[in-house]
Amino acid sequence: MAMSRATRLARYPKEEKLEVSLFPFLSIFLCVMGVLSFINVLNSFSAPQKIELTAQLEQGYKVAYQIFSLPDGIISVPPVKYLDKLRDAVEGIDQVAITDILQRRQNAMFRLENHNGPVMRLATEPDVDDILQAMQDIRTLNEIALKANYLYEEFLLFGIYPNGSQAYQKIRDVMSFTQDAASISIGLEPLDANWTLNLNKNTN
Amino acid sequence: MRNLISLDSLTDIVSNSVGILIIFAVINLIHDNNKTFQLEIPLEHNTQLSPVFFIAKDDRILALDTDTIFSNATLQATSGAAGSKRLFSLDFHGLLGKIDDENGISFYARDTQDWPRFNQLQKRSSELRETMNNIDGQKQFAYFFVYDSSEDGNISGSGFEAFREAREFLKGKSVKSGWQPVNSEAPANICDKRYRGGCQYLPSYLGDG
Repeated sequence: MAMSRATRLARYPKEEKLEVSLFPFLSIFLCVMGVLSFINVLNSFSAPQKIELTAQLEQGYKVAYQIFSLPDGIISVPPVKYLDKLRDAVEGIDQVAITDILQRRQNAMFRLENHNGPVMRLATEPDVDDILQAMQDIRTLNEIALKANYLYEEFLLFGIYPNGSQAYQKIRDVMSFTQDAASISIGLEPLDANWTLNLNKNTN
Repeated sequence: MRNLISLDSLTDIVSNSVGILIIFAVINLIHDNNKTFQLEIPLEHNTQLSPVFFIAKDDRILALDTDTIFSNATLQATSGAAGSKRLFSLDFHGLLGKIDDENGISFYARDTQDWPRFNQLQKRSSELRETMNNIDGQKQFAYFFVYDSSEDGNISGSGFEAFREAREFLKGKSVKSGWQPVNSEAPANICDKRYRGGCQYLPSYLGDG
């Protein structure tokens, strides 16, 4: 007697397929994707951005002496990278003067670059003698370059951070009393607190 | 028999997307660490143009009507309030004034509620836009006293954003602008260069003018 199809199927146990649910896996992946996107967006808003101040349309032979004005004081970033060439272009006492200035600036940059911790913590109260010295150095370099007919001129760029106007005003007050500052071009720009300065570019 | 939708291909796509995102994030991080933004800073220039003064504070901008302010200050001066170096009301959008030899007339901005917000520059019929449109770029420039105070964890000074926006707006109209940072202790002031060397209000612009 022939077995019916239903009876034949009933004799064999149902094949047990191993079914892995992919939903938890998918869920974890989507979560990771969401978190990554969130971190990415957050990063673009809050991560410190390194900045360098320039006056693009005037650059070429004009070099910026950057001063960043913060609530705790100032950070001065003097230019050093073209001074070697300027020194080579002049002779005698001018060469000695440039060497002095270069040495002073290299020492200042060495202190800035070899600090530990965030660079913005290096702000110090503006000292009247230091400001006067900086103005005198800029004037001296500009006059030497002019005398040697060498295309080089330094100018001052101020970056003003939130709550940083006090130090800036002190410097401008000092500058208004010295003749050295009278011929120096000045620029200033408001900066956000998450913009940090780039030191390496000034020395390389 | 159940009809199960296969999730294999979907999982594959999602896994690939996550992988690409991770790669992007890492590249972005490496790139950002080495990237330096160059800010173009306009330089101050001497000028024959006359300044039109503004105060930028709390994301608002107030145009200083110097005629009104100086006539009100003169009235106060004759009544004695100004002479004794006390703060007096200028009857102009909540501004208080003080007069002294060194700083000329100083403006103390305490209540800025009725000042126009800087985003009104985008509205065609706003008073602020009208004021800025009326600046004659051939004879005048805009000068901003910008409050630098930052509160409530803001990354920007209270007048920075307003100033940047106004500067861009004016640049589009070929009107030059200059600025100086101020705060509640060293407020905006209009003085005479003959009495104080630092009394200069100069426009800032890039080399091409």
